[in-house]
Amino acid sequence: MLSTLLLLLTLSSQPGQSATGKTADVEACLACHGDRGLAVKLPSGETRSLYVDLATYRGSVHGNKIGCADCHQDMTSVPHEARPFKTLREFTVAYYEQCKRCHFDNYTKTLDSVHYQALARGDRTAPLCVDCHGAHDVKSPQKPKTQVSRTCAKCHEGVFTVYNKSVHGRFLEKSDDVPGCTDCHRSHDVAGPRDANWQRRTPELCRGCHENKPLMEKYGLSTAVAQTYVADFHGMTASLHETDTGREVSVVALCTDCHGVHDIAKVNEPGSRVLRANLVKTCARCHTGATENFPGAWMSHYEPSWKKAPLVYGVQLFYNILIPFMISGLVLQMLLHFWRVVVNR
Amino acid sequence: MSTYLTRFTLRQRVEHVLVMSLFIVLSVTGLPQKYFDAAWARWFIDLTGGIDHIRWFHRAAGLSFSALTAWHLMFAIGSIAAGRSPLSIVPNRKDFDDAIQMMRYYLGRIDQPAQFDRYDYRQKFEYWGLVLGAVVVISTGLILYFPILFTRFFPGELIPAAKVAHSNEGLMAFLVVILWHIYNAHLNPDVFPFDRSIFTGKISLERMHHEHPLELARLKQIQDIEEP
Repeated sequence: MLSTLLLLLTLSSQPGQSATGKTADVEACLACHGDRGLAVKLPSGETRSLYVDLATYRGSVHGNKIGCADCHQDMTSVPHEARPFKTLREFTVAYYEQCKRCHFDNYTKTLDSVHYQALARGDRTAPLCVDCHGAHDVKSPQKPKTQVSRTCAKCHEGVFTVYNKSVHGRFLEKSDDVPGCTDCHRSHDVAGPRDANWQRRTPELCRGCHENKPLMEKYGLSTAVAQTYVADFHGMTASLHETDTGREVSVVALCTDCHGVHDIAKVNEPGSRVLRANLVKTCARCHTGATENFPGAWMSHYEPSWKKAPLVYGVQLFYNILIPFMISGLVLQMLLHFWRVVVNR
Repeated sequence: MSTYLTRFTLRQRVEHVLVMSLFIVLSVTGLPQKYFDAAWARWFIDLTGGIDHIRWFHRAAGLSFSALTAWHLMFAIGSIAAGRSPLSIVPNRKDFDDAIQMMRYYLGRIDQPAQFDRYDYRQKFEYWGLVLGAVVVISTGLILYFPILFTRFFPGELIPAAKVAHSNEGLMAFLVVILWHIYNAHLNPDVFPFDRSIFTGKISLERMHHEHPLELARLKQIQDIEEP
C-alpha cells in the first residue's frame, strides 16, 4: 500500500522523467523509516525520531534529485551498525560534512564564517548547514526573502527585534529592496561583528544600495552620501584603511558609527542618532568634549553650496579664481623676462 | 676674482634652511593628503607607513613651522620696535613703479630696466606671499588640529572652510615656490645656474652693480667698498 503510494507520488512529481536508481532507494528505506514510532534513545536521555515524512522529503529541493544513501553514506548494512553518538547534537555535527560533496563552494565559504570559528573553538551549538537549511525539508532559502532573516532570528532573537524596528527592518515584509541579515553579513561566510576586515568595508557595503540611483530615487534618497563621506575627513581615512589586514580597526567613524547598526533609523525620525538634537551626543562618542557648534563641522553629506555652507563654498570659489590667476601671472612674468633676455642678445 | 659683500646674516641663512626643509616635509606629506584618491598618493602613503604616519609627520612639521614663523615675526617686531630695522622688505610706492617699469622694459617699450634697492619687487612679493601664506596655513592648520576647542567659540562651518583654505593655500604655496624659486634662484640669467647667496650669505660686487645698484650706492656712502 505504502510503496504503491510512493511510486505514484514519484511519478506524479516527475512527469516525463522516471525515478532514478538513487531516488528509488527512498522507497526501500521508508519501509522502516516510514514508521512514525521509529525512534532511538541516546545515552543523554534524548530521543531521536527516525521517522521521515515522505511528502515533506519529496517537497524539498532534493526530493526528486537524490536519495537517502547520498547523504547517509555510512548506512551500508541492514540492520545498521550501532552509532557512537551520546547526544543529538553529536549526531548532527557528525553529519556536518555530508553537504560538501555537492555544495563544495558554499561549504568552503562557511569555513570563513564566524559560525565555523565558534565550531572550531568547540562550541557544539554553532549552526551547521542543517540548522539554517533544514534536513529532510530543505527549501530554497530565498523564498520568500524574509525567511532568511527569520532563520537567523531563531538564534539571534535580540538583534532581530532591534532590526525589526529599524528603517530597514520595518519594510522587510513589504519590500525586497531593504537589506535582510545576509545582505550585510553574507550568508555562508557570515561575518561576525568583530571581524575587522568586514568592518573596514562598511562604507562599501552601504554604498552597494545607497549609490544605486533607481533604487534610491524610489525612496527620495540621495546617492551622493558615499562620495560626500569620502570627501570629508572620516571617509578619507576610512577609504585609506579599507585595504588594511590587521585585526584592529583604526579609530574612524564608519557609516554605522553615526547612523547605528541594527537600529538604523530614518535621519529625520525622533530616535535618529543623526537628528540635529541628538548629534552632539553622537559626535561626542568619539570627540570627547564636543559642544553645541561641533556637529556643524560635518556638512551632513551635502556638497558645499551658497545655500548649504556658504563659507566653505566661498573659500573654495576664492581659491578657484586666485590659484589660476596667480600661477598664470607668474608664468607670464617669467616668459616676458626670458623673451627680453633673448631679444637683448 | 670679484669682491664679495655680506648680504645675509647667519640668522637669516639658518632661517632659510629651516623654512626650506619644513616646506619640503609639509608639501611631501600634505599634497598626498589633498589628492589621496590618486594612485601616486596612495603609493606614497603606503610607502611611508599609512595615513596616520603621514598625518603625524605633517603635524609635527606644521608645529615646527609655526614656531619658526612666530620666532621670525617676534624678532622682526622686536627689531622694528628697537629702531634697528631698515624696513627694507616693506613694499612701497617705488615697487609698484618698478613693476610697471619692468613690464614696459620686458615688452620693449623702454630700454632701461628698473634700478633696485636691497630687495626688488619680486623678492618682496615672495617674502610677503610666504608670510601671509604662513598665517593662513598655520591658523587653519591649528583649527583642523583642535576642532573641538575652536567650535566652542566659532560656528562649526569654520572647520570644513579651514580645510578648504588650508589645502588650497598649501597647493598655491607649493606651486608659487616651485615656479617662482626655480625662476628667481635658478633660471634667472643673472644667477644661472644657482643663486648661492642665501646659503653662503655673500653676494658678488658684480651682481650688486647689476641687481641692487641703489643699495650699493647707499652702502658706499657709509663704508669703504673697493672696486676691483
